[in-house]
Amino acid sequence: MAEQEQSTAEESTDRLEIPFEPLEMKLGPSHPATHGTVRLNLRLDGETVVTAEVEVGFLHRGFEKECESGLYYQAFPYTDRLNYVSPMINNVGYALACEKLFDVEAPERCQYLRVLASEASRIADHLTCMGACALELGAFTAFLYAVEARESAWDILDAMCGARVTCNYVRIGGVASDVGPEFAALVREKLAEVARLHKDFEDLLLANPIFRDRMEGTGILPKDELVALGVTGPLLRAAGVPLDLRRVDPYLVYDRMDFDVPIGESGDNMDRFLVRCEEVRQSARMVEQCLVDLPEGPVDLDDPRVRLPAKGQVFSRMEQLISQFKLVTEGPRPPVGEVYQAVEGGNGELGFYLVSDGTGKPYKCRARSPSFSNTQAMPPMVEGGMLADVIPTFDMVNMIGGECDR
Amino acid sequence: MASRVVKVDREALAKAAGPFSVRAIMVGLRVTSRHFFRNLWGWIIGKPTIATVMYPEEDVVKPPAFRGMPVLVEMDNGKERCVACGLCEWACPVDCIHIVPDETEDAIERYPQLFDIDMGRCMYCGLCEEACPEEAIVMSDRVEIAAFSREGTLWHKDDLLVPVDRLARRLEYVRRSYER
Amino acid sequence: MVEESAQPSAPEDPLLQRLRDKFGEAVVSTHSYRGDRTAIIDRGSLVATCEWLRDDPQNQFDMLMDVTAVDYLGRRPRFEVVYHLYSIEKNHRARIKVALEEDDVKVASVVSVWSGANWLEREAWDLYGIQFDGHPELKRIYLYEEFEGHPLRKDYPKEKRQPLIGPGAPEGAADGGESSS
Ligand code: SF4
Ligand code: SF4
Repeated sequence: MAEQEQSTAEESTDRLEIPFEPLEMKLGPSHPATHGTVRLNLRLDGETVVTAEVEVGFLHRGFEKECESGLYYQAFPYTDRLNYVSPMINNVGYALACEKLFDVEAPERCQYLRVLASEASRIADHLTCMGACALELGAFTAFLYAVEARESAWDILDAMCGARVTCNYVRIGGVASDVGPEFAALVREKLAEVARLHKDFEDLLLANPIFRDRMEGTGILPKDELVALGVTGPLLRAAGVPLDLRRVDPYLVYDRMDFDVPIGESGDNMDRFLVRCEEVRQSARMVEQCLVDLPEGPVDLDDPRVRLPAKGQVFSRMEQLISQFKLVTEGPRPPVGEVYQAVEGGNGELGFYLVSDGTGKPYKCRARSPSFSNTQAMPPMVEGGMLADVIPTFDMVNMIGGECDR
Repeated sequence: MASRVVKVDREALAKAAGPFSVRAIMVGLRVTSRHFFRNLWGWIIGKPTIATVMYPEEDVVKPPAFRGMPVLVEMDNGKERCVACGLCEWACPVDCIHIVPDETEDAIERYPQLFDIDMGRCMYCGLCEEACPEEAIVMSDRVEIAAFSREGTLWHKDDLLVPVDRLARRLEYVRRSYER
Repeated sequence: MVEESAQPSAPEDPLLQRLRDKFGEAVVSTHSYRGDRTAIIDRGSLVATCEWLRDDPQNQFDMLMDVTAVDYLGRRPRFEVVYHLYSIEKNHRARIKVALEEDDVKVASVVSVWSGANWLEREAWDLYGIQFDGHPELKRIYLYEEFEGHPLRKDYPKEKRQPLIGPGAPEGAADGGESSS
């Protein structure tokens, strides 16, 4: 009898326990609340995320294979399609890697133009990221302001190279074309537009209680874990690590620029957002400085090994014509060797690793994309948090499909 | 090194919101209504301030640098300037140009018998323009490639030829930018 | 064009020197090219070297920036796995390489040293077929599980097509293995 009683007692405690079975949820590959083609496999306990897994690769286009099958200069259009929100930075990064391999340096005016282009791109990148974040948290108006401001930033690129997203502007040892005399006025006008809309955007969001509630204290990961995971860019700076390649390892003419590197403290989504906000202003400052300091002179290296000769001479002189033919069909030939060159992209360190076997085609062309490493750090950021916090965290990680998947 | 590390200011945010976020709400209302009245006024006086362009009734203003689809320059005598050297074919990263050269009795004895560009593959990168030693292929401001079939996106020589005077703006830009 | 990489730079970089002193035989060769210091490490001592590089106060390579591989088809050893390291504190970089033979493409995983190696190694496995021993979950990352071969190997033709999979795939395509051109 006693035994029986005991067993019923056991059963009753069994019944009292609520059975736990995690809910599997798949977010994506195309989900209105995520920008970028990615799938999140979440296991939920109620609204709490137990485990998260990110599946990438939906936009894999074989960037490296394509680059290896073309000449060095033919890879430029492909680099545009890595981070398609800030294409110029990719162009610049690839060109710098090539120049390191060829051991040449672009003229000063070209370097200023590259900095200008990179910073205008960075403005566009951050505004897109922040705007999309606002949109996905329900602030549609703010999103429209950000995108309008981004369009202004892209107008600057448009005037430089003739395309807004598919720039293909930078070349080995130069840029595709110099800017005209009316360029400075246009840039100032567009920067004013960006500043005006960016101010409105901030006014709408930063003090807004709903927005702050969703951003503050979410998506935190300790500094040392971020470092171990290889996270760079605004994400790492928001956690208080002042790693900005423009500052610690200046390339181009960044060492002559006067700018601040904003850092955060706690590394939550709000800090990440604020860091990006501040970087937009700093980038605008740098564009201004480039306009003021832009030196006169050639934008292209006068080196028949790497850069096409001037068109006028091609029409009339045999030697230049032959050089044009050789450079187009065989491409510039670097020495045997390997280089790694990193630049500060919109999301962090964008590195290009080139291996040359002495022919006109890169033997290996590897892009170290910041989005890839940053996205990897996402699961530990969201695990243990709420489902709703996944969205702002994902927005601030700013996974760009083209760059992450290459 | 003129760069400094600064910390973002978070305390200000809570203050900006004011008690019960009243100020935050007022600021938001002010921003959106300012935009509304600004756009309304622009519409009334006929100078729209909105960014939307009513395509295809209107078109955007394209800068001279604009890279649309590549076209062939047609000289005044109705012939193409191209000498079928094949450099653009080489330079094209996606291999979308196809040329069959031929010879004539004219002063310029080589010409392309066939010159096809697969616009479905072309990415408007402009490398063909840069490679051409004759200024015979340039980027135009045309962008409409829609067609009802895949064959329709294959543009032949006759579709691609554009009289030289209609390309004057681009040719001038090309000359300036490649002159170094 | 002189081949700079062939001649060992006369005054050796202090970091590479220390690495040589510490690991001796395990360091197969070192060189600096255009300011990038590179050390080729014996496969067996990769993890030990990486740990030392991360923990030694003079190195402090706390970030693993990149893991990739290079396929030198027709050369022995055929593969090289390349690690790019960066130190936030010291602001310096290094490149570590491990050479692998074609018939034994295995190397120890460095996930235990830098957790960020996880996806990077999965990528190298996916695209090059490098096997990382001790990796917690070595599976394809970009491509799907049914994909055959490793596309970034030099003997994988660029134009090769793989059969479509999944719902909507043409009948019998999954076992077809047709390839164009
Ligand atoms: S624009 Fe670029 S893709 Fe198009 S035909 Fe010219 S080279 Fe080829
Ligand atoms: S490069 Fe110019 S001249 Fe040569 S084939 Fe092309 S369009 Fe004709």
